[in-house]
Formats: sequence, structure tokens, C-alpha cells
Amino acid sequence: MLGLMTVFLLGVATFGSSGPREGDERIQYLNTIYACPQCDGQSVAESNAAVASQIRDFIRLKVNSGATDQQIRDELIRAYDSSVLLTPPAEGVSLLIWILPVVVAVGGSAFVVSILRRRQDGLREATDTDEELVAKAQASVSSGGQ
Amino acid sequence: MNPALGYGFSVLGLSASVLGAVAGAYALITGRLHIMKPVRQWAWLVFVSGIGTFVIMEIALFQRDYTIAYVQKVGSSTTPALFNFAALWSALEGSIILWALLLSGYVAAVLVKFRDRATDPLMGWALVIMLAISGFFFALMVGPANPFLRAVVPLGFDGPGPNPLLQNHILVAFHPPMLYLGYVGFSVPFAFATAALITGRVGEGWLIETRRWTVAAWGFLTIGIVLGAWWSYEVLGWGGYWAWDPVENASLLPWLTGTAYLHSVMVQERRGMLRVWNLSLLCATFSLTILGTFLTRSGVIDSVHAFSEGSIGPWLLVFFAVVAGGSIGLIAWRGDELRSPGAIDSPLSREAAFLANNVVFGALAFVILLGTVFPLLAEAWNDSRLTIGRPYFDSLGRPIAFVMLFLMASAPVLPWRRASTELLATRLLWPAAAGVSSMALAIAIGARGLYPVLTFGLGGFAAGAALRQVILATRRQGWRGFVGRTNGGMIVHIGVVLIAVGVASSEAYKTDRSATLLPGQSVVVADHEFTYLELKADENDRRQRIYAEVQIDGEDIYAPAQTRYLRSGMVVPTPSVRPGFSEDLFLVLDKTPDDPQGPVRLRIIVRPMISWLWTGGALMGIGSILAIFPGKRRRGTEAVSAVLAKAQQNSEASGVSPADVPSVTGASHG
Repeated sequence: MLGLMTVFLLGVATFGSSGPREGDERIQYLNTIYACPQCDGQSVAESNAAVASQIRDFIRLKVNSGATDQQIRDELIRAYDSSVLLTPPAEGVSLLIWILPVVVAVGGSAFVVSILRRRQDGLREATDTDEELVAKAQASVSSGGQ
Repeated sequence: MNPALGYGFSVLGLSASVLGAVAGAYALITGRLHIMKPVRQWAWLVFVSGIGTFVIMEIALFQRDYTIAYVQKVGSSTTPALFNFAALWSALEGSIILWALLLSGYVAAVLVKFRDRATDPLMGWALVIMLAISGFFFALMVGPANPFLRAVVPLGFDGPGPNPLLQNHILVAFHPPMLYLGYVGFSVPFAFATAALITGRVGEGWLIETRRWTVAAWGFLTIGIVLGAWWSYEVLGWGGYWAWDPVENASLLPWLTGTAYLHSVMVQERRGMLRVWNLSLLCATFSLTILGTFLTRSGVIDSVHAFSEGSIGPWLLVFFAVVAGGSIGLIAWRGDELRSPGAIDSPLSREAAFLANNVVFGALAFVILLGTVFPLLAEAWNDSRLTIGRPYFDSLGRPIAFVMLFLMASAPVLPWRRASTELLATRLLWPAAAGVSSMALAIAIGARGLYPVLTFGLGGFAAGAALRQVILATRRQGWRGFVGRTNGGMIVHIGVVLIAVGVASSEAYKTDRSATLLPGQSVVVADHEFTYLELKADENDRRQRIYAEVQIDGEDIYAPAQTRYLRSGMVVPTPSVRPGFSEDLFLVLDKTPDDPQGPVRLRIIVRPMISWLWTGGALMGIGSILAIFPGKRRRGTEAVSAVLAKAQQNSEASGVSPADVPSVTGASHG
């Protein structure tokens, strides 16, 4: 019941949201994905540097004149270089920043699974101590019974 | 006078630390434990030196004693008292003074707390380790980052004062000390962990002894980070609180591993398992505080926070290598004794949930470390320049945060050992209903979008689970239901939920607009009317301020400003914020005209539920304090199995080391 309601509500949440970003909202979004070239890692939306302000103005101008996201991206890369992208393109050595987290996540999960599996192995095989204790118990039972 | 006294205290601190560490190690190795008494006296001298360097530097700052180069750098006759006091930690050399002061304070606290156990080798080694660490920081003060260097005073000299960003908000007096109390505080559990490895007493003793110290350090670090976010929001003027800046990331890394440790340590206390893992987490936490200091204070990474750079990079890197390498070596050396054959009975158990928690926190720490250092590595590798920023951290951090919230909701209701699905269904019913209701409520008041609504749902779920625990505990135990680790921890969880909800809504429903307005003109942003009234200016001997009076909704007047600090000539925007329970209105004066009648450009940012972040942070702090108070004493779980318990009894009787037999701990620890 709760599960069904969850699916329904998340469905409403997902499909009730408005379509592709337009106008001011699109400008606001684009400002957050380009780096301010002087501020090492901050987006142009976050920076107060003059160059960030220029790039914000550039993006606003381009959006208002009907440029596509791709055109804006290409022009910014031409003007600065690909370090203006806050997410490096997934190619060459930068691929590692996407692959390594997956490797770690898989490795971590495998580690947990292996710890959980250890229990089952332990349950299947009786240890020498177990055997000894069982033998002792049997001996005491048989001697006590007489 | 001041430079000589200050330098004298630095040298005293270095000598006392080194002598104490060497003599202590000698005493412990050779068994001449009577030497530990003078070692404790030297440790007190370290405390005196820490206070001495701090007090002398504060006196010098207040006297504007420009014979000290550092005071020339950050002092100024016009800085108000509070910011002048805080100027001590506004640049590299002074930060080291603060670090040394707090570390020597922790040394003193350890001396007092464990005063009855001066000859206990575990305690002795912990003291030796702490003295070694303080030796390193006093060495920095004597050598490469000497804050008391003399300088020639030009006639009529007056300094620039601290960086303008560090002298326009009161939080500057609280955020760095809190953060440092957290960083430095982790040296106490680290010292005891190392001592446990050295002495071979790798059982649960050291861990229980340092439990409260760890929670305290974690609490300080949490408060420090949240205050930093608040400072950033109030001062930096872009309407945000977290920029994934390298310095911010560096503070988050030890927080993440520390949080993982706080959870997994409970598995070791109750079940004797995960010994290697816990030691590694603790060593990683302390190493990461050093690595963070290196990354941010060596100039290797530029950052808006890098107020202080110097030549101490290689020193910190070597110290990091010694700490990390040393701990790995010690853990490997004691590897055999650290094995604990206890096993997790079922994936549906609290220990399994803690394990999952650790993987998730570890993964997030890894992602953040990778994103922070990768641009450096790539540049070293093939000279490629690339930037990793918010979109990367957001896209990888978001799914991890969802898993965290889910674990936070389900783990507290899980019993130790194993749970039946029926039990889970009963216990999770109300929390799950709370989760679904919060989603329904959010949608009813107009929230849309998968990510924020999912956050509200999982947040309600997690808050429900935490409340359930607190309600049950208070019903059973009255007011004691609020204290103790479990209950305090649940209060912390509720704080985390508030932060998660605040982050999700303030990000997803943010409105960020620029408007160019002439006096008298208005603009409507997110259903609020902003009217630009007029441009004004004022001036004192420290700064010139140009501000725009903006009336919001025809009511109160706010004044975003641009402030020029006369000594440094720097201009910083000073935002003006109307805070509120449901939304903050954030105004920045972007561009000012030369002619006061000309148009100004305002940046208007409306962000819902920002105040939930600060409330959540405060709740996390309160929860940490509650967690430090002793809760109800409870007995541990029974032995793993009768067979193993029997085996342990036999081996204890025959004098075999407890580490060699299956670990059946828990019963003796509360």
C-alpha cells in the first residue's frame, strides 16, 4: 500500500515537473555548468570575479539570441579551453573520474558480500573445537547414562 | 620583546614535546616506567607553551606590535577588536599557532582525565604520540612557518589588516576555532589507536576509553563545517553555502571517515568485529586532516579559501606520509592479532547496516578526494588542464546521499544479530508512513521533480525512524531517553534530515535573477516585489561602503553593498539577506553606476528553506552533546554461540592470548 503510494507520488513528482528549461531558468542552469576561468572550480554563477560576470552576460546574450546549448558550449571552449567545463568531457584520462568511483562502489559491495558470505561458510563446516566438544558431550552422556 | 618571548615559547614547546616523546618512548620500551612522571611534567610544559605563543601573538596584535612580520601582514590600527582577535588565524603562521594551542589543550585534557594511570603503557604511548604530533607543529613554528619573525618597521607604518573577507562577519571568530577543535580532536583517538597497536592491547579497551573524545571531536568538526557554510552564505555573496571548493572538500573528507568510524565502532564494541577496519578508518581520518592541511596550505591548489600559503608544503607532505605509512605499517604488524572470527549472522541486522553505511561513506569520501586531487594529477600526468566542479560532485554525490538517507531510515530499527521481515515491517510501518506523508504534503503544496520529492520522502522516513527511537526511549526512561549515544545519535539524524531537506529544496527551487533598475523601478522575482529606492554611501576610517536601498514587498528596506577596504584597496560585495523559515531573499549589489541617478544591477536570489540548514546543524551539535552524556547502561549481547564461548573459556584458562580465539566480546562493555 505504502509502496504503491510511493510509486504514484514519485510519478507525479517526475512527470508533473515542467518541460525543458527556457528563458531565465535556462540561463540560470547554464551559469552553473561553466567554470569561472580564474577561480579554480567555482562556476560563473558562484563567482563575483569580473570574468565570471562577463561569461554570465555572454550566456544571457546567446540564449536571448536563440543559440543552442551546444553552440554556447563550443564558443566558450574556443574562447577559453575545455577547462571552462566544470565536468571534464568523458574522454582520455578524464574517463578515470567516472570509472574509478564505479570500481570502488563495486569493490566495496563485494567486500560486504564477502563478509556476509563468511558466515555461511562458517556455518557449513564444523571446526575442530566443535568436533571435540561434541565428542566430549557424547562421552559424558554415555558415561552418565550408565 | 614580543618576538623574543613568542619565539621562546615556540622553542620551549618544541623541546618539551621532543624530550617528552623520546623519553616517554624510552621509558616504555625499556620498562623504566618511573620516567613517565617527568614526561608528564614536560607535557604540561607543552600546554604552557601553546598558551604562551597564543597569548603573546594576541598581545602583539592588540599592541599593533609591527616588529613582528606577521602583525605587519594582518594587523591594522583600524581593525575592530573582534576581528583583530580573529586576525590571529587569518593567515598561515597564525593558523599553526591556533593548531598548536588546541593540540596542547587536548594534551592537557588527556593528562587530567587519565591522571591515575600515568604508568599504564597504553596511556603512556598515547601521550608519546600526542607529544610527537605537537612536536611537529611546534617545529613548523620554530622553522618554516615562524609567526614571530622580526621585521623592520618603516616610519609611520600601519598594516593592511586581515583579508577583507575575514573582517566583515562575526562568524570568522567561531568557524575556524570550531573546525580546528574538530581536526585536532581526532588526534586523541588516533593517539590511543596507535598506542593500542604498539602495546598489542588491540581489544576494545582503547576504543571505549576514547569514545567520548571521538564524539566531541566529530561534533566540533560538524559545527565547524556548518558554520563555514553559513559564513560562506553570508559573506561571499553568491547566494550559496557550499562550492565544492578544495578547502571545503578537505574539511568534509575527515568528517566522512570520522562519521563512518563512529558507526562501525559500535559493531566492534558489541561484537568484537571490524578491528582492522576501525583502526584504518581512524588513521585515515587523522591522515586526511593532515592531507587537507597540505592541499590547502601549501599552495598546491588554488582556492578562494587559500588565505594562507607558505613554504610548509613539503613538511606537511612528509608528515602525512609518516602518519599514513606508520599506521599502515603498525596495522600490518599486528595483523594476526587483529583478526576476529565473529561473523555477521544476517544481512538484516544492525551490524550489516553499519557495514553498508561504511561502504557508502567510504565511497563518498573517495569520490570527493578523487574530484579534488584529480585535476592536480592530470596536470602532472600530461599537462592537461581540467576543472572538476559542482556538476561532478552533485551527480555522484546525489545517489550516495539517497542511499545514506535510506540506511538512516532503516538501520535504527534493526536489532543486532538478525531480524525477521515481520519485525521489520512492524517497526518500519510508522516511519514509512511518515515518509509517504511528507512526499504527499510536498506535492500538495506544489513541489515537483524526482530528486527533491524523493529527498523529502526519504527524509521523512529517516526522521520517522529517529523519532520512533527517541519516543520509545523517553517512554521507557523519561528524560534519559534523550541522552546517551543512541538517543543523541537520533537527534543528530534528525539534524541531518533537516539539512538534506534544506539542501534539496534550496537547490531545486532556487530562483536566481539579475535586474538592472533605475531609482524607483521595481522587479518581481518569485512572487516578491523588489523596488530600488536609491544609492547611498557611507565611510569610516576602515572602509567605504556604497549601498543600494531596496524595498521588498513595499515593507522593509534592505541594503546590499559594495565595500571597499581602504587599507588593502579590495572591494567585496556585502550581500543583504532577508532570512525566513520557508525562504531566504538574498540581494547582491552587482554593478554600481558612476552617476548616483544611473541604473544599478542587482542580483536577486530566492532560495527556499535555507534556514533549515542552520537549524539542522545546530541540532547535530546538540545531538553530539547529548551523545556524550552517559545513557542507560546496558548489557552487551550474549556470546556468538555457546560453542565459541566455551572455546574462549577453555583458552583463557589455559593462558592463550584472547586474540587467538574467537572473539566473544560485548558482555563487559556498556
